[in-house]
Amino acid sequence: MWFPDWSLGRPDAPQGESVLVVDQRVVAATSDLFEAGVRRGMPRREAEGLAPGSLVLVRDPGEEARRFEAVVLAIEEIVPRVEVAEPGLAFVPVKGAVSYYGDEDSLVETVAGKLDGTVRLGLADGPFAASWAARMAGPGGHLIVADTRGFLAGLDVSVLMGEGGGVESLIDTFRWLGVTTLGALADLPRQAIVSRFGDLGIGMHRLANGEDRKVHPRPIPPELAVEARFEEPLEIMDQVAFAARSLAARLMVGLHREGVSPHRVTVEVEAADGTVRSRVWRSSDPFTEQALADRVWWQLRAWVESDMAGGGVVRLRIDPTDISGDGRQLDLFDDATARMEAERALARAQALVGPDAVLQAAVQGGRMPSERVAWRRWGDEEGVLERDPSAPWPGATPSPAPALVPPEPRVIEVEWDGGIPTRVRLGSRWEPVLTWGGPWRLHGRWWRDEGASDRYQLVTSAGAFLCVYREGRTYLAGVYD
Amino acid sequence: MDRWDLSNKIERFVPGEDLLTLQPGRIVELEGPPGFGLTRLGYRMLADPSRQAHVVALDVRGWMSPLAAWEAGVDHDRLVVVRCGDPRLWAQVAAALCEGVRAVFAEVPAGVKDADIRKLAALARARSVRMALRPLKGGLATGVSYLRLRSVEIAWRGPEAGHGRLAGRRLVLEASGKGMAGMTRLIEVEEEGEDAVRVVPGLVVGEAGRAAG
Repeated sequence: MWFPDWSLGRPDAPQGESVLVVDQRVVAATSDLFEAGVRRGMPRREAEGLAPGSLVLVRDPGEEARRFEAVVLAIEEIVPRVEVAEPGLAFVPVKGAVSYYGDEDSLVETVAGKLDGTVRLGLADGPFAASWAARMAGPGGHLIVADTRGFLAGLDVSVLMGEGGGVESLIDTFRWLGVTTLGALADLPRQAIVSRFGDLGIGMHRLANGEDRKVHPRPIPPELAVEARFEEPLEIMDQVAFAARSLAARLMVGLHREGVSPHRVTVEVEAADGTVRSRVWRSSDPFTEQALADRVWWQLRAWVESDMAGGGVVRLRIDPTDISGDGRQLDLFDDATARMEAERALARAQALVGPDAVLQAAVQGGRMPSERVAWRRWGDEEGVLERDPSAPWPGATPSPAPALVPPEPRVIEVEWDGGIPTRVRLGSRWEPVLTWGGPWRLHGRWWRDEGASDRYQLVTSAGAFLCVYREGRTYLAGVYD
Repeated sequence: MDRWDLSNKIERFVPGEDLLTLQPGRIVELEGPPGFGLTRLGYRMLADPSRQAHVVALDVRGWMSPLAAWEAGVDHDRLVVVRCGDPRLWAQVAAALCEGVRAVFAEVPAGVKDADIRKLAALARARSVRMALRPLKGGLATGVSYLRLRSVEIAWRGPEAGHGRLAGRRLVLEASGKGMAGMTRLIEVEEEGEDAVRVVPGLVVGEAGRAAG
């Protein structure tokens, strides 16, 4: 069930005016703004530029969750076990309900009859296909998908956007390979996808086949659920917010220790009057600590502000009901969220300084420190190395490597006395050479008219330097900083 | 007081390896001229965070060499070098990195405004970014860094009048700031070739100083 304009239903949104609800990006907009070119997900500034006279409201997901709670309760009267993905978007397993109501059409009509006319209903195998069925249903309509794989086959690969970190570049790669629809992707052999694109690729291939994320049937130890009891019932919103955040943090710490992360959690509260309420929140990406804390807080706020926690909250419990090894493994090897955030930050840095200034490197063979680094732009595939790092490279400059290496050797003034370095000019002053290592002869490539040179490690009281003496001049090749 | 009692007392004052470990949201300032071993120290600080996520070396001069970073223990695949020599752009780039990267070792070019560095420090604190700043000229303004490590002396071992090669070094640093409880102390850092940098225990010289940072 998807309410595309749920954010617009807030009480302070004036009727009959152009309204834009934004986060950092556009969350919702009135129809006239869509006609002006505004799109969901568009950057806020761009949208404001297209609709300069519109009223801009900053999204308040807590308030949206409070209003959405009434919708969820209405759905639960028809079908139990509603799972909320975000305010305005909820999923519900319908297998049992279809049997009860006779067929899918009757069920959908019953649900639609209970809800606001703006709801779009999609019925398909799995949340991914169902959410796209709802999107395709049109305003106030519904779409029942009989052949999920066939339905998905016609969708563009861009619908995979947001289904995992790093998927944007994967979509670009699919396009570059000529795979433009989910159908084309689904037709590729899974083994080929695994070997070429790894876990992320296999996840996208599963979605394209209408299989959704594979739920790992790993047991959930009961001690992973977290619970807090409060002697004084929590009625003040600040107290509730603090409790939500601290309990969410406790849950994530326990999950990190186990190397897992939740895709679905059940939030349960007990009110002072004995009422027990619970709600399931789900996410296609593993919940981060912040995302989980937000959802627990929205849910509690919805219950408390709607007087559904009579007398205040006396017990709060968060139960992970679907965990996987994806994502949050901060203390182990890699972290999908961290990788995604880092990629965004580096892309932003690239935009500021240019692609040639954001670099990664690989070690390669060579005799000078500058030769041993193979630079590439960040994001580019590691290419073929110019020099084999596994070759012996006799005469290579010994370690440790200088921490600073000029892109090209620079002339440095060194005073010599009978082949022995005595002084180095550093800026405006001369530093006496305390001791030195070398010379190590470096034979140039005679076929390129390169002469021989000698390398020295010069030690002064101001640091140590790697220098190259060639044809009567000394060059700085590195600083042991 | 016997000898063991004394050593225990010293050990409590010696921050040990913690000094060379970047803490989330706490700025470490590395102050000193080139050649005093501070770049390698900065790389060493990136080593631990690089086991979990990408780390960035923000290179002002275009001279930073990943070879030394790898020797210091930074993960090969997780080191990204961002080059930015423009002081007007530097703060923006550093701030963009703080938005998503967990650990940054940044050279600070001359000409960056104190206000920009303060804003950057506030952002790093808010985003719990591990950050080491190495100003190329002078030091950072008071209050920016949690720990200031100023190089005092460097001594190399290995070469002797043409024989041998650089094998190890001892670096004397003056540590001050909130991370040292407002006191100023001298510490010695020893590095043996390709081995990780380590603080030499028991060689801290206590020195009364004014609270800073």
